[in-house]
Amino acid sequence: MKQVDSINGQELREMLATATGWLEKSASDIDALNVFPVPDGDTGTNMLLTMRSSVEEAYRVADPSTATIAQAIARGALMGARGNSGVILSQIWRGLAQSLAETKSFSGSDLADALQQASITAYKGISNPVEGTILTVAREAAAAARAQAANGNNDLVAVMGAAVHAANESVANTPTLLPVLRDAGVVDAGGQGLYTILEGALRYLRGEAEQMKFRKPQIIVSSIPLTAKWSRMAAVDGEIYGYCTEFLLKGKELNPDKIRTRLEKKGKSLMVVGDETTTRVHIHTMDPGNVVRYATSLGTMHQVSIRNMDEQHQDFLEMQKERAPEVDIATVAVVSGDGLCDVFTSLGVTAIVPGGQTMNPSIKDLLQAVEAVASDKVIVLPNNKNVVLTAEQVQALTEKRIEIVPTKTIPQGVAALLAFDYEAGFETNAQLMRAAKSTVKTIEITRAIRAAQLDGLKIKKRQTIGLLDGELLAAGNNTIDILTKLLAKLDLKKTEIITIYYGADTELAEAEEVGASIREQYSGLQVEVIRGGQPYYNFIVSIE
Amino acid sequence: MTVKIVTDSLSDITSDIAEELGITVVPLTVLFGHETFLDRVTMTTDQFYHRLTRDSVWPTTTQPTPAAFIEVYNELAKETDEILVVTLSSKLSGTYQSALGARSMFEGKCRIEIIDSKLVAMGLGLIVITTAKKAQAGAKLNELTGAVVSALPRSHIAIYLDTLKYLAKGGRIGKAQGLLGSMLSVKPILTIKEGEIAPLTRMRSLSAGMDYLYNFAAGFANIEELAVEHATTPDAADRLVERLGSLFPKERIYQSTISPVVGTYAGPDALAITVLEAAKR
Repeated sequence: MKQVDSINGQELREMLATATGWLEKSASDIDALNVFPVPDGDTGTNMLLTMRSSVEEAYRVADPSTATIAQAIARGALMGARGNSGVILSQIWRGLAQSLAETKSFSGSDLADALQQASITAYKGISNPVEGTILTVAREAAAAARAQAANGNNDLVAVMGAAVHAANESVANTPTLLPVLRDAGVVDAGGQGLYTILEGALRYLRGEAEQMKFRKPQIIVSSIPLTAKWSRMAAVDGEIYGYCTEFLLKGKELNPDKIRTRLEKKGKSLMVVGDETTTRVHIHTMDPGNVVRYATSLGTMHQVSIRNMDEQHQDFLEMQKERAPEVDIATVAVVSGDGLCDVFTSLGVTAIVPGGQTMNPSIKDLLQAVEAVASDKVIVLPNNKNVVLTAEQVQALTEKRIEIVPTKTIPQGVAALLAFDYEAGFETNAQLMRAAKSTVKTIEITRAIRAAQLDGLKIKKRQTIGLLDGELLAAGNNTIDILTKLLAKLDLKKTEIITIYYGADTELAEAEEVGASIREQYSGLQVEVIRGGQPYYNFIVSIE
Repeated sequence: MTVKIVTDSLSDITSDIAEELGITVVPLTVLFGHETFLDRVTMTTDQFYHRLTRDSVWPTTTQPTPAAFIEVYNELAKETDEILVVTLSSKLSGTYQSALGARSMFEGKCRIEIIDSKLVAMGLGLIVITTAKKAQAGAKLNELTGAVVSALPRSHIAIYLDTLKYLAKGGRIGKAQGLLGSMLSVKPILTIKEGEIAPLTRMRSLSAGMDYLYNFAAGFANIEELAVEHATTPDAADRLVERLGSLFPKERIYQSTISPVVGTYAGPDALAITVLEAAKR
């Protein structure tokens, strides 16, 4: 593989130009990642315009030394920075230029230093840095470059490669750091933009400029569970965002720190970056007039842009509606317990109505859920024998087409939901789900609420009892014994998986113990232990 | 002169069939860090999965370069004046772009048609195989191009994966994203829809998955060709072929392995079935 010991100023600007071309290819894809109210309607486009300004400035200077080119890149970015992400990007180049100020040509370790300085400068420009954004990606990429250089490997390709690799992981991780990304099911757009730029630079270093013509940058997909809560996004409707105000301030003896302090209370998402002659300001404010008045007292204003963010937000909501995953067929499930709700959500249920044993939902609760989902074809999973009847009443009360798949237990509901076929139609799906529910057996372990005698079983109050598909068949003092007794009643020849959902009042340790005991008894089976968090039942066991 | 058929290695056409039918297979590349391997040319399927599951380096993949296609065009131009290239889906790889780019730089006299199959694996392979047979029988380029285009919608694939981990990591997940993040261990069944990965359903075990693949084939009244491929589980593939014998002559079922390039995203233990539906009369 190619090795590059060092590059000079001319190569630096070529590398940047190549990276800009690379970014251009996915700018619109990056725009599509935007999440309101994280500012900027079009992160990809803004970063691209900022980069173009840098490249133009870099090609304008006659002196091709690394330091001069790096300065030009930073100056170009500051002059042309657009949007939040553009301003942060300009800070990154500023830090890079500072670090390369004394350099003629730079090596892997110089690059690592420069990325480090870039990250530090980027954090400094912002009054309240948020993690899970371009800042995090810059910092983690720099740290990886540092570590690679510290290994004694001064090869530029290796150092940039480490930075790109770390940036990729960092971008994929942004939804874990920033809930708004997680809810929308996307990675951070600014972080993705920076990753794309670094990756473009790496490809230049590898000498792949020619091949890049035929390829496209990759948008990173996060692998964390996505719980797209479109309803919640609509709920922030009432908030007022004001005006996104951006301008370049030119003057003498400008003091960015002082300007920042002065503007801090005037709005949100404040960024003030630059030097004593040129400073860029970005702020979301209710009163742009006030900010403008203050700025004109300090110097002259250029590239002034004041945009109404509430209008942008409306456009954004419209766009979201169009882009929201089209659920052709919706599923509504009755579930209680936070763990079980997570299980159903992770399997793609459209809506959950809280309820179950001893807390049956009303017809109205179910009807509301059916009406609320964005589809006129709805499959309902009651997941409890006492809810099936209630669910059937909903049919007469709604205009929507609805199918009740009469699941009587949670495991039946899970099996039905799993069987959902994305390519099949409404009736076929209802059929598939009905067939799937009868492929599982359910064991429920709970405590007797009173003493009783049933089918020859003497049961004391508070004694542990076991139900097999709703039928009370065992009682005793020990969960494992009861479970073993009930499992013995089943023909397990065709069984492959046993899933144990433990309840809200059960400790993980006990659940693990039960799981281990079953694993031991039935060595051929796959046993999963999952927190269900359900009330009333200590254990719900699914046998498939 | 016989029309020459070109495809890429993601068609999963075995080397003996390629040789027998005169198909040129252009390999994609798998990279483990700084090491590059040509798909099933300089790295075997077994070697690949061995490294995939043990190596700390995550592999990446790249399309053939335009230069690789130019070389093929030049070579074939010595024997023919018409070439038909059928590539995997352009939404999954830039191979189609490379083939197009190469044609624009090609200076020979040969006529070259390039089709984006919007398919992958044997979904593409079966179409290339039937087309190559027609070419050997003397069909001309226009006829073959028409035949491919009309056959594309009749190719149906179902892919069983043991895990979505590799697909998510590789960023090629497409519309199957909704299957991610399940709290239970589930085995996704995917297909290719409009050139992209799309979900079919989920299973909880290999045997349930195999039932699904069997039923998938059984759902077609008229099967022209059938293919079964696997990544690391030849026994499972054999069992599936055995069962499919009740639907279709066993000896006519094409058996192959899933490309390491696809394996980078599909992971070990994947199984796939492709049905080429007979044309309606």
